[in-house]
Amino acid sequence: MTLSTQLREIAAIPSGGANVAIALDHVEKHFEDQQGNPIPVIRDITLDIREHEFISIVGPSGCGKSTMFNIIANLLEPSAGSITLRGSHPIRGAHIGYMLQRDLLFPWRTILENVALGLEVVGVPRTRRLAMSREYLERYNLADFADAYPHTLSGGMRQRVALIRTLITDPDVILLDEPFSALDYQTRLVLEEEILSILKSFDKTVVLITHDIGEAIAMSDRVAVMTQRPTSVKRLYEVGLSRRLGSCLKARSDPRYQTLFDQIWADLDIQMGGQAS
Amino acid sequence: MSTASLYTRRIEVSAGGTKPRKHQDHSLWKENLWRLAIVAALIVAWQFAVNFGWVNAFLMGSPAGIAIEAWRQLQSGQLLSDTWTTLYATIVGFLLGSIGGSAAGLLLWYSRHVARIIDPFVVALNGLPKISLAPMIIIWFGSGMLSKVALAFIATFIVALLSAYQGTHQIDANLVNLMRSLGATKRQIFLKVVVPATLPWIISAFRLNIGFALIAEIGGEFIASDKGLGRSIFVAGNLFNLNAVWVGVLTLMLVAIALYLVVSRIERYLLPWESR
Ligand SMILES: Nc1ncnc2c1ncn2[C@@H]1O[C@H](COP(=O)(O)OP(=O)(O)OP(=O)(O)O)[C@@H](O)[C@H]1O
Ligand SMILES: [Mg+2]
Repeated sequence: MTLSTQLREIAAIPSGGANVAIALDHVEKHFEDQQGNPIPVIRDITLDIREHEFISIVGPSGCGKSTMFNIIANLLEPSAGSITLRGSHPIRGAHIGYMLQRDLLFPWRTILENVALGLEVVGVPRTRRLAMSREYLERYNLADFADAYPHTLSGGMRQRVALIRTLITDPDVILLDEPFSALDYQTRLVLEEEILSILKSFDKTVVLITHDIGEAIAMSDRVAVMTQRPTSVKRLYEVGLSRRLGSCLKARSDPRYQTLFDQIWADLDIQMGGQAS
Repeated sequence: MSTASLYTRRIEVSAGGTKPRKHQDHSLWKENLWRLAIVAALIVAWQFAVNFGWVNAFLMGSPAGIAIEAWRQLQSGQLLSDTWTTLYATIVGFLLGSIGGSAAGLLLWYSRHVARIIDPFVVALNGLPKISLAPMIIIWFGSGMLSKVALAFIATFIVALLSAYQGTHQIDANLVNLMRSLGATKRQIFLKVVVPATLPWIISAFRLNIGFALIAEIGGEFIASDKGLGRSIFVAGNLFNLNAVWVGVLTLMLVAIALYLVVSRIERYLLPWESR
């Protein structure tokens, strides 16, 4: 551990004012190919994720967004740099709820058992965890499906279940990796709204990866635009439309929405041009 | 690399193992009626051919002769005792081999290192026709039940091990990542992801192993035994008693079908999420 990280841990609250939930400090990551040559994926990510904010990450396909999440969730070690969670190294599972790309429900478990998974892993007794899971399912109108197997549910419902499974362990920070990408447009709009209101009621810190610029603007307080691989943060936008206006739909019809959209689009567009040449 | 390439070959389930599909009642009836008609036609044609002398009953047997022989063996109790002997040794060997092999294959998930070390041995044993071990096994375990159980065990163990081990390699890495992100221990990942995710592969090995266990069993009985359907077929064949051979063969067929049905039942019980 470097001296600078130690200092950061002591000074858990940075000068910015808002509390920092996760601080990424010069995080680098490279994988190795068959011959053992390093493939740089993350060049340098330095980013403070604030307590209770909703921040979106947009970036070109394959630039390293999921890799960044895997590092935050402590599934991967960074090659260099450090991550601090509220000033201390993240303890896996205790603080972070990670909803991985694609709805990853266990096909051999019923919906109820799927929701209970996180509680089961930390050793909550069976009757307790099932009762809790049932309660959560009821709250989100999924109680009818408690005993169904995942393959009988629609994509949108499976995503809801995956989100509930993430929420039930009461994480401080929720990582959402393209939760809506497999859904049709209408379901997306409904789910965006729904998830935002759920998350608001829990007052969580949320990090969302998405390919959909509009979705990022409509839902977030801030949007981070990433560069091509090896990636770093190219630009940070302060948004906060849905928080101020109260819904994603209103955010989408606000004039600032279009301006931001064009700006972010331009950021990504330049990169695409760069890639082509 | 050799490990990966050797294990990517997925064991295919034979036609007998396809999942039963739901039909409407009357179409199922019709299908069964057709099947019955085909069997009846075959029997009648065969009997006619024998009666008119188109076919040599001595070399082919005849339906009537088979029925008489079956009745005789049923009355004497020989058929049941042979069937029981064969069934018992097959099932015990099959269960020990399939369950033991599956467990061993699953446990290899724990240690890639061990898996890599034993890989060439497993491959060599898998390629070896297990029945070639029969003379040795019979020398060691005698001509009774024990040697047949041992043969069926050897014939099924490696298949189950390979299938389960391959299964552990096909697990969606994201499921494991999800468990890790929830803070699961390796043991929890094993019990809650690896075992259930591998069950379909294990069941498919069970299906294949019914056939392998029967081959080992019958082969063993051919070589040295005092009882069993294999011995009965072998002895009848040596005596050119084709009707008795047929009785043994047809009984074996029934045994195989019964075992398939049992495995299908187990499958539906163990994999409730796969049957809709
Ligand atoms: N374990 C690994 N070993 C080697 N390369 C990897 C590994 N994991 C990811 N990569 C590579 O790293 C790059 C970034 O992958 P990552 O999944 O983080 O991208 P992403 O931004 O999430 O992409 P997408 O938008 O498609 O989800 C990709 O080129 C990928 O092939
Ligand atoms: Mg990704």
